Amino acid sequence: MFDIHKIRADFPILKRKIHGHDLVFLDSGATSQKPESVIKAMDDYYRNSNANIHRGVYELSVEATRLVDEARKKVANFIGARAEETIFTRNASESINLVMYSWGRDNIKSGDAVLVSKLEHHSNLVPWQELCREKGAELRIIDVDENGMLKMSDGEEKTFSENGLKVKLGSFDQLVDDKVKLLAVTGASNVLGTTPDLAEMIKKIKVKAKAVTVLVDASQMVPHMKVDVKSMGVDFVAFSAHKMLGPTGMGVLWGKKEILSKMRPFMFGGDMIGEVKITGATWAELPSRFEAGTPDIAGIVGLGAAVDYLEKLGMDNVRQHEKELMKYALEKMTPLKEEGLITLYGPKDVEDRGGALPFNVTGIHAHDAAQILDNYGIAVRSGQHCAAPLVTSFGVPAMVRATFYVYNTTQEIDYLIEKIREIPKVFA
Amino acid sequence: MSDYKEIIIDHYKSPRNFGELGGADISMEESNASCGDMIRIQVKTQGEKDFIITEMKWQGVGCAISTASASMISEKIVGMNKNALEKFGEAGIIEMLGGEINPGRMKCATLAYRGLLKIFESHE
Repeated sequence: MFDIHKIRADFPILKRKIHGHDLVFLDSGATSQKPESVIKAMDDYYRNSNANIHRGVYELSVEATRLVDEARKKVANFIGARAEETIFTRNASESINLVMYSWGRDNIKSGDAVLVSKLEHHSNLVPWQELCREKGAELRIIDVDENGMLKMSDGEEKTFSENGLKVKLGSFDQLVDDKVKLLAVTGASNVLGTTPDLAEMIKKIKVKAKAVTVLVDASQMVPHMKVDVKSMGVDFVAFSAHKMLGPTGMGVLWGKKEILSKMRPFMFGGDMIGEVKITGATWAELPSRFEAGTPDIAGIVGLGAAVDYLEKLGMDNVRQHEKELMKYALEKMTPLKEEGLITLYGPKDVEDRGGALPFNVTGIHAHDAAQILDNYGIAVRSGQHCAAPLVTSFGVPAMVRATFYVYNTTQEIDYLIEKIREIPKVFA
Repeated sequence: MSDYKEIIIDHYKSPRNFGELGGADISMEESNASCGDMIRIQVKTQGEKDFIITEMKWQGVGCAISTASASMISEKIVGMNKNALEKFGEAGIIEMLGGEINPGRMKCATLAYRGLLKIFESHE
C-alpha cells in the first residue's frame, strides 16, 4: 500500500522550512532524503554495536560482522544477486572505476572499442575516455535524438580525435561490430530520465560483438524500479546507496562471479588478502578481494535499512508512483510550454523515462530559475548535471532539473508550476 | 529575492561594455565547468610590467549574476593594475553586487573577476 502521507512522515527533513516555506525537495536525482529507519539503524550501530569486522572473536566484533553480512545479503537479494558477487564501494563512480582499473586494463587492448551512450553521467564516460586513451582503443558514443532517445540506426556518423583519443559518434547499429569489447551504458539518464531499452540493446550487441562485456550504470535505476541483475544478461551493475534512501559514501558493484574471480584486485591492503609473506600475498575470496581496508560499516548498515524500506514499499509501487508523478507533471507543464514560457527536454512517453524532468524557463539561465525557486522552498538542481556533452547538445549551457521520488506529491508539482510562473516576473 | 537587487537586474538587462573590442591587447576566456557559463574578455592596457587596464569589453553566456557582475566590473576595472584588482577581491565583488550573494552563486559572481586575474597573470 502506497500511503504518501505515511511515507512523508518517515522523512524527518521534510518538516524543515526553507526561507519560511515548506521544503519541496525535487533533487533526489542528486541525492535522496533518508527515512528515520535508515538514520536510526546507523545511529544504533554506533551506539550499540560498534567494532571492526572480521577481526575479533569478541561479541561486539561478531555482531558488527553479522550486521555487515546481513546487509550484504539484503542488497544482493534486492537486485537478484548472490552475496559474494555484491561488492561494497564508496559510490557508483568508484564501482565503475573498479571495473575500469581491474577488468578494463587487462581486457581492453589497442584496436578494441568501448561503447557508451551520450546519456552517460561523467562517471560512466570519463573512466572510459581515459582507458581508451591509455590503451589506444576507440571510444564509441551512441548519439541521442531531439527527444533524448538513443539513436538505434541510421543518421550521421562523426569522428573526433584529440590528445590521442579517437571517438566515434553515431547510431547503435553503426557503432556495433566485433571490435566492441565493452558496452557501458546507463539504465536511466540522470538528466533526461531516458530509460534505454537495455534488453533490446544487449540482445542485438551479442549477435555482432560476441565477446562483449556489459556494464550498466544503474545509479538512477536501482532506486526507482525493480532490477534483477540475472535476467538482465549483463556482467556488471553499479549504483550508489545515497540515491536510494541510504547514506552517502556507500556504493555497490555487482559482477558475475566468473569475471570477478579472474580480476586483479583494485586496491591492496587489509581484509583483501589471503596469506601475506614478506615477499608477497595471495588474495581473499570474493567479495573481500575488492574491499581493501575497514569498510564504512555504518554506511553498509544504513544501506541495508534503506533496502528494507524500499522492499516494504515494493519497487513496482515505487515505479508506478513516479510514473504517475511524471505523467501529471508533463500534463501540467504542457500549457506553460505552449505559452512559450518553458522548454521541456526528454522522452515524451513516461514509459521511456524515469523520474527526471529537465526544463528551462525561456530567456532565463537555469541557475537564476533554480535560485528563484529556492526562495519558495523548492530544491531543484541547475547546471550540467555531470553530463556536459549531453546538456550542451541541446544547444543550452545548462538546464533546470526536477527529480521525483517516493515522498513527492502532485501538490508539490502544482506548487512548482505556480512558482515557475513567478520566475520571469523577477526579470520583467 | 535577496540576490536579485535592482542593480543586478539593471546590469543584466542592459549589460555595459558588451561586445568586441577592436585593437585589444589581451584576450582571455574563462568558464564555469559545472554550469556551462563562459566569458571572453578583451582589454586594452597601458604600461609594461605593472600594467593597468584602460578598457574592457566582454562577451559570453551566463546567468543574471555572472552577467551583472561582468558588466559592473567592466566599469570598475578601468585604471586598475593587478595589485588593485587583488585588493578589490571577492569582497569587492560582493559589495559591488549589493552586499550579499548566495554562497552557491559565488562561482557565477566571480567569473569575470577570475578572467581578469588570468589576464594579469598571463603577462607577468
